[in-house]
Amino acid sequence: MAYVVQTGVIGAAIMPRVTGDRQSLEEILYEVVQRALRDAGLVIEDIDGIVVAANDQYDGRAISVMAASGSVGGVDRDILSTPSAGEHAFVMGTLRVATGQYRTQLVVAWSPTEAGSLPEVQRLAADPYFHRRLPLDEMAAHAMQANALLATMPALAELAARVSEKNRTNGAAAYPDLAGAPLSARAPWPLTPGTAPISGAVAMVLASEAFAAERGVAMARIAGMGWATEPAFLGDRDLTTAPALEAAAHQAYGEAGVTTPLDAFDVAEVADATPYQELLAYEALGLSPRAGWAKHIEGGTFGPAGTLPVNLSGGATCLNPVYCTGLIRIAEVARQVLGRAGPHQRAHVETGLAHAASGDAMQYNTVVVLRRTPAPTSSSTNQGAAA
Amino acid sequence: MSTRVGIIGIGQSAFRPRRDDASYPDLVREAVTLAMHDAKLEFDGIDAVVYSLSPDAMVGIGNAERLGVDAVGGRSKRFLRINTGGATGISSVAAAYYHIASGACETVLTAGADKVGECGDSQTVLNKIWDPTYERQLPLGTISMLAMSAVRYMDKYGMTEEDMASVVVKNRWQAAKNPNAHLRKETTIEEVLASRYICWPVKLFDCCPQSSGGGAMVLASERYIKERNLDAVWITGLGHCSETYYLGDRMGNHQLADHADAYALGQSFKRAFKMAGITDPVKQVDVAELYAPFSNTEFHSIEAAGLAPIGQSPAMMREGQFRIGAGIPVNPSGGTLCTNAIAVTAMIRVAEIALQVWGRAGGHQVAGAKRGIASGNGGDHQFFGTMVVEA
Repeated sequence: MAYVVQTGVIGAAIMPRVTGDRQSLEEILYEVVQRALRDAGLVIEDIDGIVVAANDQYDGRAISVMAASGSVGGVDRDILSTPSAGEHAFVMGTLRVATGQYRTQLVVAWSPTEAGSLPEVQRLAADPYFHRRLPLDEMAAHAMQANALLATMPALAELAARVSEKNRTNGAAAYPDLAGAPLSARAPWPLTPGTAPISGAVAMVLASEAFAAERGVAMARIAGMGWATEPAFLGDRDLTTAPALEAAAHQAYGEAGVTTPLDAFDVAEVADATPYQELLAYEALGLSPRAGWAKHIEGGTFGPAGTLPVNLSGGATCLNPVYCTGLIRIAEVARQVLGRAGPHQRAHVETGLAHAASGDAMQYNTVVVLRRTPAPTSSSTNQGAAA
Repeated sequence: MSTRVGIIGIGQSAFRPRRDDASYPDLVREAVTLAMHDAKLEFDGIDAVVYSLSPDAMVGIGNAERLGVDAVGGRSKRFLRINTGGATGISSVAAAYYHIASGACETVLTAGADKVGECGDSQTVLNKIWDPTYERQLPLGTISMLAMSAVRYMDKYGMTEEDMASVVVKNRWQAAKNPNAHLRKETTIEEVLASRYICWPVKLFDCCPQSSGGGAMVLASERYIKERNLDAVWITGLGHCSETYYLGDRMGNHQLADHADAYALGQSFKRAFKMAGITDPVKQVDVAELYAPFSNTEFHSIEAAGLAPIGQSPAMMREGQFRIGAGIPVNPSGGTLCTNAIAVTAMIRVAEIALQVWGRAGGHQVAGAKRGIASGNGGDHQFFGTMVVEA
């Protein structure tokens, strides 16, 4: 279906790693929101509505969106909250602008690390009768998925190591001051120690095409968007496949008119909580069937100099604020498309692909296709106004 | 222009203090099954699901919507969850509306459930909504929070404890006609006044119960409805608005709004009314389901909805208004005061209004109702959602 109003990203701010105790949560959120507004060239009065994604368990608060109310500019303004995933706030904000009933939306998510133990918190999300005592947390589920893939492709460990190496090299270039966080002590087999969860925050400004034209700003137009979920129980899934991601990609590509994904994008950010997930995403996103993984990795297709660089930011491999990592993937692609990605900007990016995943072994999947819409020239702005 | 969005199916549990016979996903599925039968749809006919769940701690499972995916038939479908506290239900209906009004989907299911009656003590959970440093240790709960609103409302407008009791008597009388309501036993002013204080001036009978049950609704685009010649009622207006997080910011100097009133609820209604073309709600609204978990809060909700001048609703209640058969009935289902399964309570407000304008409300039907309004409140009286539904 066609959206009623074309929507795009006109501003984004990423705080991929917040360290120290000098800022309260409210101060972090205020800063990331103000940065995103400045990036869009807007002030809070320009914002018609806000969608916040926050996770009660990570925050240690019930209805954790409440605390954000003031610092994101939500007082006397319209707020919704999508606690299912950071990236779902993007979906909701896009849908609201696409109705034509809002000109703009502010989308915000954060991920704290104040919880004594993220695995303990995540175990409380497991079914209380069957799975909680395993114990099952997200890394354990991710490891089972990796193990399932290895069972079918024993040589995959070496490819996974190459994917991690690619992302670490990218991260060191993209965020030289931030990447290289301490390795997680816990790495359930067959995973190798990865980056420890960190605190982070991200904010994005969405606007209608007409609003962006009126303000004369460039837009990363949302050409296609899809989101889908896997069932609740891992036992009901074949963890070597990602049907929900395939469904989300099908939705997004259908809207964007993408038929040959490997040729359609200049840059991609893909969920990489583990390198096995990035590999699985290559297949479900239509970038490469598993039989072609080795060829593409050895040939550097997805490397920084390849035809489709994947995770130029370093991905979650390097900086992993767990709850908002998914929204950061979308924000990274938006910044690439807007030409404002910083040190890891790829030249001449017209179209980008973002994939976000959340939950056990990629339960939730969101796919977004973003296309550059340049800022209108003054003459075309005038024409638009006249029309 | 965005497409019109209609409601084509409704399901709700018969709410009870406990549902030992049903797990949490079972309870969600119960409401979903009812709504899908009502809409005469199979899951293949649903494009997306909006999951309605407020604090996870109420069901004791983190991100409990993940366990509900199968209960709502969500596998490989568009799926996300909404949480705006007590307003979650109406926010979820709004989110489902945006899925369709944007052009992204033709049919959306929104559903959820709660087991508040089985969570141990909801106030212990709800104390955790406040800032851990400043307000949590008072200790605040939603009862003490709105008792403070009652005290301020008494001081500003002269409301009495008898006035509060009259809301309870009215809503219990109406709930007795609604087979899905949790508290269905009629009561008297004397009984309410004799019930024990929970937090002055709020007494036990002034409080909503802790309910278990589920709710679900199916929404569809006008094109889908007309192509299939379906029976539907229409969402013609909706709005959201928020207040401050800190209660102290509603009581001190430079306050945006007074904690006695429901400022942001009023703002939210203004947005919904503007969209629906309502300029004089007293003349244009036939029935209202207003989220009021404590008797005193029905007064400022009535006023925020424009159904009474500010401070005048207690006097109008004394005259016998706002009940079925008199003026604009408020909470003919018995309202939140008689049933509160938090995750879906505000959805049930919309569902009940839809049933009213559909003429399907049964024993608590308001005769001739064609246009109704609904509201939901969440957080610490912070997030407000409103909706206009028309036949």
